[in-house]
Amino acid sequence: MDYTISNIAPIMLFPFLGFVIGCFLVSKWEKFTAALCTLSIFGSFIYAARIFKDFVFGVYSSDYYIHKTFTWFDLGPMFKLNLGIYLDNMGAVALFMVTGAAFLIHLFSTYYMGHDKRYGRFMVYLNLFTMGMLGVVLSDNLFSFFMFWELMGFCSYSLIGFYYEKEAPGNASLKAFMTTRVGDVFFLLGICSLWYAIKDHTGVGSFTFVDMYNFLADGGYEGKTLLGMNWAAATGFLFFMGTIGKSAQFPLQVWLPDAMQGPTPCSALIHAATMVAAGVLLSLRVFPLLEAGGLLPVIAYIGGITAFGAATIALIQTDLKAVLAYSTISQLGYMVLGIGVMAYNPSFMHLITHAVFKACLFLSAGSVIHSLHDHHTHAHVQEMPRMGGLRKKLPFTFFAMMCCTLAIAGVPLFSGFVSKDRILGDALLMALDHPVYWGPAILGFAAAFLTAFYMFRMMFLTFFGEPRDKDVYDHCEEEKLSFNRNVPLLILTVFTLGFWYSGSFSGQGLVKFPGVENKEWFQTLIERPDLNNLSKFKDYTSESFSSVDDRDRTKFTKSSYDPSYGLSEEKAHHVHYWHYVGAIISIIIAFSGIFLAYLMYIKKSVNPGWWVNTFSKWYRALQNLYYMDHFYIKVFIQKGLLKFNNFLAWIDMSIHDKYLIDGWEKVNRVFYRISKRFDDIAIDTVGVDGVGASVRFFNVILRTIQSGKIQFYFIVILLVLFSYMMTLNIG
Amino acid sequence: MMTLTSYLMISTFLFLCGLVAVIARKNLIAVLLGIELILNASALNFVAYTRFVNNNLDGHIFPLFIIIVAAAEAAVGLAIVIRFFQIRESIHIDDATQLQS
Repeated sequence: MDYTISNIAPIMLFPFLGFVIGCFLVSKWEKFTAALCTLSIFGSFIYAARIFKDFVFGVYSSDYYIHKTFTWFDLGPMFKLNLGIYLDNMGAVALFMVTGAAFLIHLFSTYYMGHDKRYGRFMVYLNLFTMGMLGVVLSDNLFSFFMFWELMGFCSYSLIGFYYEKEAPGNASLKAFMTTRVGDVFFLLGICSLWYAIKDHTGVGSFTFVDMYNFLADGGYEGKTLLGMNWAAATGFLFFMGTIGKSAQFPLQVWLPDAMQGPTPCSALIHAATMVAAGVLLSLRVFPLLEAGGLLPVIAYIGGITAFGAATIALIQTDLKAVLAYSTISQLGYMVLGIGVMAYNPSFMHLITHAVFKACLFLSAGSVIHSLHDHHTHAHVQEMPRMGGLRKKLPFTFFAMMCCTLAIAGVPLFSGFVSKDRILGDALLMALDHPVYWGPAILGFAAAFLTAFYMFRMMFLTFFGEPRDKDVYDHCEEEKLSFNRNVPLLILTVFTLGFWYSGSFSGQGLVKFPGVENKEWFQTLIERPDLNNLSKFKDYTSESFSSVDDRDRTKFTKSSYDPSYGLSEEKAHHVHYWHYVGAIISIIIAFSGIFLAYLMYIKKSVNPGWWVNTFSKWYRALQNLYYMDHFYIKVFIQKGLLKFNNFLAWIDMSIHDKYLIDGWEKVNRVFYRISKRFDDIAIDTVGVDGVGASVRFFNVILRTIQSGKIQFYFIVILLVLFSYMMTLNIG
Repeated sequence: MMTLTSYLMISTFLFLCGLVAVIARKNLIAVLLGIELILNASALNFVAYTRFVNNNLDGHIFPLFIIIVAAAEAAVGLAIVIRFFQIRESIHIDDATQLQS
């Protein structure tokens, strides 16, 4: 299989065409638009699946990548911008996940949004959103990466504020947009900084990842400074700010919980496959830069704080979707923590596994919410205190949600265990080598305990026990197996099993399939771009966009799991030992969290109220989300930004308006007089009236000649003849 | 003595009479008559020139043609006049202004 534009570009083109065509058809043929959007994602899923198959199942070597470019515009030697596609193993896996999850979410949306009055528009937005994420995955350079990144920002804005008639979604969409914008500004500055640094080093500025890796491998960043700081650290931090904004890390996490104001399928898309994943993907792509800047401890701490803090807030949430929103932040914290402890591969794995089970969780939550109505207000019910005992009414949703909860809690056999454990194990290893990492490691383990607790609290409150709101419960219809409601859930549920990702029943290769070779494809495929070993980019030449890919493809030989990680035996033993320790600790932690939730909400032998009363100060802090929103609004915005805005307004009104605008008005008045005079005389009198007058003059003459009298004509003919003859005579 | 000059003078006189009739008369039939006079003047010129300059029969052929053409032309002209009279109930030449505009 050779790759050219014609079999990579459709992945992005299908959703984009679905969006464009959908825009025109949405008002007339809503159902058709929805079907078109869903099918277009399915089309790109097919293409992505083929790439996934080629990359993962052994046609290509583990460090193979495709890089195709075309020149977008060329401003001479100063600035030339190439856009293109960069597709490596990570991209192939991400493409498969994004298209697959997006397709299932589309399918579920046809159930969930089917009776909404803006059903078609929702589907069209979902398509554009997916296209943005696919663009981010496929981008070979930070420029188009940023464009698609912003496109996703816009789509999240319009999807979160989808019910714009209500006040809360409108505010939430603005909040999401503005908060991520803070990170994006830093990200943009980082891109500029990188471009100039590469231009400084090689003479040709570039945005591409490959050029960035080469630049870093050459050590071009050494000795450079940015505003007096170490260049690599400063630029890496700017990039990481983009991640903080987009992936809702501390301290910019405030937008993500509010983002649940959107319809539930859009939350599923934002929290799972697209928006927040892009931030982590950015950090993974620029990982060598973060490493070179020595930012990893900072990143690890931010990830740990986010994971732990969000998990604590999730403990007391009563809204079903709010719990999931905070668990997303917490899990994103794990991914960032993984990046911080150099667990590149587990971090990306957690991105994928989390995308699957979080999409499923949100869709299940949507399924629950959609079936519960308040009898009086006809609104959907999403408060957990009004649920309970739904297990019997919604068996399929319960099954799917239970599997995903087991996965997110880190129970063995499920995907969350595989990926989260590797992150925690690597954190433990790093902490042993560098004591500074003990903080993130402990925060990570603590958050794992809290995750198991609050997720099972959510499950117990929703599905177990007695119905707390009899009215809501009685009006809930029995769930019947329906195609677009349950099939997406069940498909996603299948992929919450761990062995899809690890090739074995546990994450660490402990329990193997009997008689099956232990294939840890994830572990072998996704490799950290190592600054000391970037040889695969050294002989890089970018191919033109339509060229067929004819580089050597070696058969993928590393298909069986290399248990030594390429390390010496002693070192590998050390690594394995601590991975086992980490796994055992987190299994104990997960089950103790589940057990505590069981004691509190099923057996009721531990009273949650006691905890609330004892730690009332902390409880209030949690209720107020650690006062972060309060801080941003009261202090940061009202004290700081508002003053600054008033100052700017003063400049605008007292200086700009008064002198520039009014002064310009005086100048214009003079010009006005001159041009009015000119207009009156030259244009109107001479030009316009003159043409009229000359026409009238000739009209009088010619009208007299054309009298219609034959004899007059005859005289004229004779005169002409006569004068002609005279002329001939003279000549 | 009959010389070429006297013939030409007669034909000039006829031509001028015809021209005046064509230009000045307001009766359509009189205008047609003027045209006949002009044709006859030219026919006389042909005959006079061939008699005094070449002295052969070439110039005598032309008056024959001219007489035939004049007859046909008079017939057509009179038909036009009759038709005109049917439309306008007048044969005054200043009424024939359809060509204007």
